[in-house]
Amino acid sequence: MNVRRSGQPADVAGLAGVPPPAADLAGLIGEVAKGDEAAFRALYDQISGQVLGIVTRVLRDPAQSEEVMQEVLLGVWRNAARFDPAAGSAAAWIMTQAHRRAVDRVRSQQSASDRELRAAVAVIPYDEVAEAVQASLEHERVRHCLTGLTAVQRETVTLAFYGGYSYREVAQLLGIPVGTVKTRMRDGLIRLRDCMGVE
Amino acid sequence: MRSSAPDPHDLVGAYVMDAVDAGDRAAFERHLAGCEACREEVRGLRETVARMAATADRPPRPELREQTMQAAARLRQLPPALAQQAPRGWSRLRTVWRGTSRAARSQSWTVRVAALAAVACLAVAVLFGAQMHGAQTRLNAATAHARAMAAVLGAPDAIMLTAKIRTGGTATVVMSHHARELVLTAHGLPVLPRAWVYQVWLMGPAGNRSAGLLYAVRGKMAGPMLISGLLGGDKVGLTVEPAGGARRPTTRPILLLNLGS
Repeated sequence: MNVRRSGQPADVAGLAGVPPPAADLAGLIGEVAKGDEAAFRALYDQISGQVLGIVTRVLRDPAQSEEVMQEVLLGVWRNAARFDPAAGSAAAWIMTQAHRRAVDRVRSQQSASDRELRAAVAVIPYDEVAEAVQASLEHERVRHCLTGLTAVQRETVTLAFYGGYSYREVAQLLGIPVGTVKTRMRDGLIRLRDCMGVE
Repeated sequence: MRSSAPDPHDLVGAYVMDAVDAGDRAAFERHLAGCEACREEVRGLRETVARMAATADRPPRPELREQTMQAAARLRQLPPALAQQAPRGWSRLRTVWRGTSRAARSQSWTVRVAALAAVACLAVAVLFGAQMHGAQTRLNAATAHARAMAAVLGAPDAIMLTAKIRTGGTATVVMSHHARELVLTAHGLPVLPRAWVYQVWLMGPAGNRSAGLLYAVRGKMAGPMLISGLLGGDKVGLTVEPAGGARRPTTRPILLLNLGS
């Protein structure tokens, strides 16, 4: 496996199968761009769990989330040559696509008809005592930074990002003006950025 | 009261969180094209939301790995973008992706309903908000209610459960253990004769507590109902009771949903 290449110190024996560190992500995308399937495999191992994590958090449904996760990874494969490191980190490039695709899916379903919904309901297997469909997580740092926001900043950011709502919908939900929602989203994210120490 | 000329740049937060519609997005990207400082802000905020996105690690089922590899092997890669194409980077991908994804959407219906139900639930919460322009007093109560539901739906520990109701229909619950609250909806509930009503219960070691009545309307979703005060070991129960409801369940539950707490 030629997974660990450019920019790495001398190869360490026995690292096959160990996911390369995050710093390698951009390098992997460079290899993927040349059609290197081993690099794509390594990239999948490194990022698919996080992609599935955010997609599931927004979409909730496990089967659809897996589908979107695969679309995201295949998108990385297909578009690898168009990744531009100057425009942002590799992780941000991939997670942006993951989030956007999950939100797109949520939005497209909002227009799905009731009839479709009822047809789908009809095929759920019977289960008297249902067990949890698990979702979720929490990452201490983000959590900590979120607690540093004002209530309105946190509500608007959380509903938009994790809930998949548009800013207009958030305004309706919270009963506050659209203009306020926009500015709270912006200053909330700026505060998060500073708290997380993003460059 | 709206300001006469909103600053287009205010949209940057919503934009990086994908909380904009196509029209807003296009307008904002036009704004970006002429503003270097704005592009820099977008870059920093994208890194921020990418970290928010990366807080959930959920390893996919092992078989998806080979499936994805095989799909990649059949998928032709795109050449690098030419330098003069603008705007660079993020937005252009969107168009590319639309074309590639259709083929991958060949999944069974079976589990989809869960998300559909959740989305319906969210949509109702939104509609609920949208219908509030009438009476001021109702508005405040409704806003508080929508806000409480939004808190559950957006909770970091939110999980979703679905189960078939014995007499027909499906119940969906979105729950936050942390907040001890849940939002219940039901689809396809048979309409009851006038003398009867559906009643929702929390049933557990702490006893059976009524959570309220649920009204079935033909072809419509019942709920959403916000239920607070979850205690350890509670299940959500649904019974059919005489009109007006009962103090204790008097019939066998037609749904008993284990909340896994």
